[in-house]
Amino acid sequence: MTSLAIQIEPDSFAGRLASRGDLTSFFMTLTAEIGADAYMLVSILHDQDQNTARILASNWIHDAIELVGHRLIASLAQAPAVAPGTRPRRLAPATAPDAAGMMSGEQAKLLDVLGHGEIYSLRLYVGGQRYFLLFSASEAGKIRQEALTGAQLRCCYALSQIPALFGSDATQDRLSDRERECLVWVSEGKTTDEVALILGVSSNTVSNYITHAIQKLSATNRAMAIATAIRSGII
Amino acid sequence: MNDAAARTEPDQQSFGEYRNPFGAHVPVSEQFHTVTIPDAVRRCRWIAVDLNAAAFSLYQIGPSAERPFLAPCFDSSYPDMAPETKQIAGKDRTGIVKHARKSTAPCFWTDGPSGAGAIDGLAWCRRIDPLAEGTTGMAFPVHADRGSGLAVFFGPDIALEPHDLFEIHARCFSLFEAVTRIRRRDGVTVPSISKRELECLKLTANGYTSEEIARLLKLSVHTANQYLSSTTQKLDAVNRMHAVAKALRLGLID
Repeated sequence: MTSLAIQIEPDSFAGRLASRGDLTSFFMTLTAEIGADAYMLVSILHDQDQNTARILASNWIHDAIELVGHRLIASLAQAPAVAPGTRPRRLAPATAPDAAGMMSGEQAKLLDVLGHGEIYSLRLYVGGQRYFLLFSASEAGKIRQEALTGAQLRCCYALSQIPALFGSDATQDRLSDRERECLVWVSEGKTTDEVALILGVSSNTVSNYITHAIQKLSATNRAMAIATAIRSGII
Repeated sequence: MNDAAARTEPDQQSFGEYRNPFGAHVPVSEQFHTVTIPDAVRRCRWIAVDLNAAAFSLYQIGPSAERPFLAPCFDSSYPDMAPETKQIAGKDRTGIVKHARKSTAPCFWTDGPSGAGAIDGLAWCRRIDPLAEGTTGMAFPVHADRGSGLAVFFGPDIALEPHDLFEIHARCFSLFEAVTRIRRRDGVTVPSISKRELECLKLTANGYTSEEIARLLKLSVHTANQYLSSTTQKLDAVNRMHAVAKALRLGLID
């Protein structure tokens, strides 16, 4: 499988990615090119204060995923992940299990046995959407570190070509200008009545706008809605 | 795969380090030494030199979904602003803003006699309508934790080797990251807030009520409220919502 993949240049996929199958061969090619054995593309779901990983594409063995668990995968993907333009950090579970303070010695040994002796985690941006990509190899030093930046951006470009595969719900849940305006004022410490006065609408309308904004941001209350909006750069 | 020699090559062959005309361009130092806008302008100039571009500008993408616009951060005429930059920022930019929100792929355009032979046909890049009339240029969508932007380079002689594309784009990413960080802490003094108070504030930002915070941190509801109101005071905020917003903008909580 790998020997076949080497013949293909990852850049030859540019403009030709249309299906999940194409994406799989693209990832296989790229994984081989940088000297890695495995890849895993995840998105992170925030659930109050816990994060879990949603696996979008991967060539990990199914049992390995089950054994390692989604919670640990989420922290593997998130904690060391760097944006493009920053030197990636290597995670070597077997030699330094507690480097990132995220897993027990047992979990580290498990990863090593399952063929993930070194792991790099990269942050991918596809438009405003954020994904995480794990590259791993059976032994430390196999992955060519200097090839990772190129791989990282190629993945961003490749995923940009097929946003439909992952359902871009970000555009649907965009706040309207009015809802955003209300949130901005609330974040400045204004009460509903004050915002109503500023915008020249009734306070019921303002409450409505804010309620909708809270729902769209899937927050539980105003404070969380404001925090979410600031974190994602909406306000 | 590659031969063993290639694999044992030292790490410092990473992007950027060997191409800076001024000999001072190392990614790590780039990251930590961008503390002012002039620093960022200098960094952007290095990228422009490597692209053989005559001018550049960096924009932040406005957050409004209904009125897409580009807000200029700086350009190659810093501290002034070039007419091209104003021209790009002044118009409705639905096309490019939509692209940047959905995609990270670089764009290029040509208008007029000067050909773009050197950038036409680059893998992954997309041809778009000219951002400014009569010019040739490239635009790189960039994203950071808080918001998106666009790094634009102009010039009739723009040229880029396929294998340099990733390096250039990666440098634009890290430049934009640095710029968003500068803007956030521009001229503010941070009040001293205790660990416990911050914990309460963080939980509030995550949607917890005082009662829930009290239970989680094993405090009484009164103590939790006390912590929150003292934080609100220290941050010079009028209520909790305001305090959460201020703390996030100051980078006290994430």
